[in-house]
Amino acid sequence: MSVIEVESLAKRYKKARELAVDNISFTVEQGDFFAFLGPNGAGKTTTISILTTTLAKTAGRVRIAGYDLDRQTRQIREKVGIIFQKPSLDKTLSAEENIRFHACLYGMFAYRPFFRWMPTAYKERVFKLAEIVGIKDRLFQPVQKLSGGLQRRLEILRSLMHTPDILFLDEPTQGLDAVSRRALWNYINAVRREHGTTVFLTTHYIDEAEKTDKLCVINDGRLVFAGAPRQLKALLPQEPALKLYGPSLEDAYVWLLQKTDRTAE
Amino acid sequence: MKYRIFREINAGAAIAARDVLILLKTPSYFIFSLIMPLIFMGILGGSLAQNMSAGLPYDYGQFLLVGMLVNMLLMGTTGGITSLVEDRTEDFTQELMVSPISRYTIIIGKIFGSSFSALLQLLGTLFTAFIMGIHYSPWQLMAVLAAAPLICLSAGALGMIIVAFIKDNRTAGMVQMLVVMPQMFLTGAFIPINNSRGFLLVLSRLMPMTYCLDLARAAFFAGTPGYAAIVLFNPAFNILIIVALTAVFLFIGTFFFVRSETNR
Repeated sequence: MSVIEVESLAKRYKKARELAVDNISFTVEQGDFFAFLGPNGAGKTTTISILTTTLAKTAGRVRIAGYDLDRQTRQIREKVGIIFQKPSLDKTLSAEENIRFHACLYGMFAYRPFFRWMPTAYKERVFKLAEIVGIKDRLFQPVQKLSGGLQRRLEILRSLMHTPDILFLDEPTQGLDAVSRRALWNYINAVRREHGTTVFLTTHYIDEAEKTDKLCVINDGRLVFAGAPRQLKALLPQEPALKLYGPSLEDAYVWLLQKTDRTAE
Repeated sequence: MKYRIFREINAGAAIAARDVLILLKTPSYFIFSLIMPLIFMGILGGSLAQNMSAGLPYDYGQFLLVGMLVNMLLMGTTGGITSLVEDRTEDFTQELMVSPISRYTIIIGKIFGSSFSALLQLLGTLFTAFIMGIHYSPWQLMAVLAAAPLICLSAGALGMIIVAFIKDNRTAGMVQMLVVMPQMFLTGAFIPINNSRGFLLVLSRLMPMTYCLDLARAAFFAGTPGYAAIVLFNPAFNILIIVALTAVFLFIGTFFFVRSETNR
């Protein structure tokens, strides 16, 4: 069953001559780990912003978790969790206050002005997630005193608080060290196994896309590939130098971008 | 339905509480909120009281006090609501806009949060009144405070008009001053406007603060000999105009704010 259905989606920004997203169509199945790949400015963040209801589309039809994007935005917002490319934390508040704010916006718990007044279920969930993403000892520090990597982990924790059906990750590991990246993926995989969460990822790290069930490649706003990683690798013409180990996904991805570059047309 | 209403109230409370927390964590703003009334009421109002209040058929100190209380509510709330522009530049509005709550909940929560700083400024105003020897009964103060939520809501709705159309912090600050400062002088916060005429009269009647001030003064001076000389309109008329202007500003401001966020 498809949880994300995108049909002829287009977006033209105000005063722009070109389309940022040009008539793209794809589907994502329930529980899938899906990656959206493309170079800088290809239209990845524009697409994810439309799918998460924060940006209006110009044309096309989108259904998320069975709900229509034009008429049922509230229901869609209930079902999705997002880690934005640009941090969206309140830096004056502490890490825990940012989490509490999010939990109350999503109707998980009644708001209390102090952490110690919050229900035990809230405290346990915060501590459990904070342990997993490695910020348990920093929970009560102001966000402005946390490093970029720790702020990223906090955003990840926050997005997982309401256990979304679909998790949108817009370059989530940007700025994270290798250990933190691995810990994050271990947790996201555990969440997927436990709750059947669908993960929609945009990333620059090709190795992260390697593990996906399906990926789409977008270039200059146009969808140039949709399929499994092995299908993308199979597109690459066989060259003697690649025969020994076989082509990597990165080889195939770079070859595809060069082949579909509009400026080369 | 009941659950949904509770969720909206809960989310609105969280949004309001965030503004209160930010204020409490920013000592400079906290101190500024208390000092501001000293400057406006103590220096500007004090000078007017000493030099221009002779011959008035009522206590100018009390007239000034109510004017300053309403003025502080207006300035504090519109100032607070324009912090949404800062939230936008810091990308925090993304967190708000993607949440499954009504856009009106976001705005009303923000207005209530902003009102808290306005209430702090009220404390500063009352302290300044004490220094200046302005006397009033507890009932008179309670009557003005009873009108405060409506005044804050109307000021917040006015602030939303700024937020809806201004994209950067610096411009928002300047526009806020452009909106607030003329109101202070044209609507009778410091100076009686019973004799305004021509263009200035038209402007004063277009400004929401005129009706907020008149409502607060009607509440404060009810049953006193100066009532007829101070109050311009029937309080019911004031409430009607404030509610109508607030509804219109809130609708327009929220609509264009949401549009500016999503229609880029």
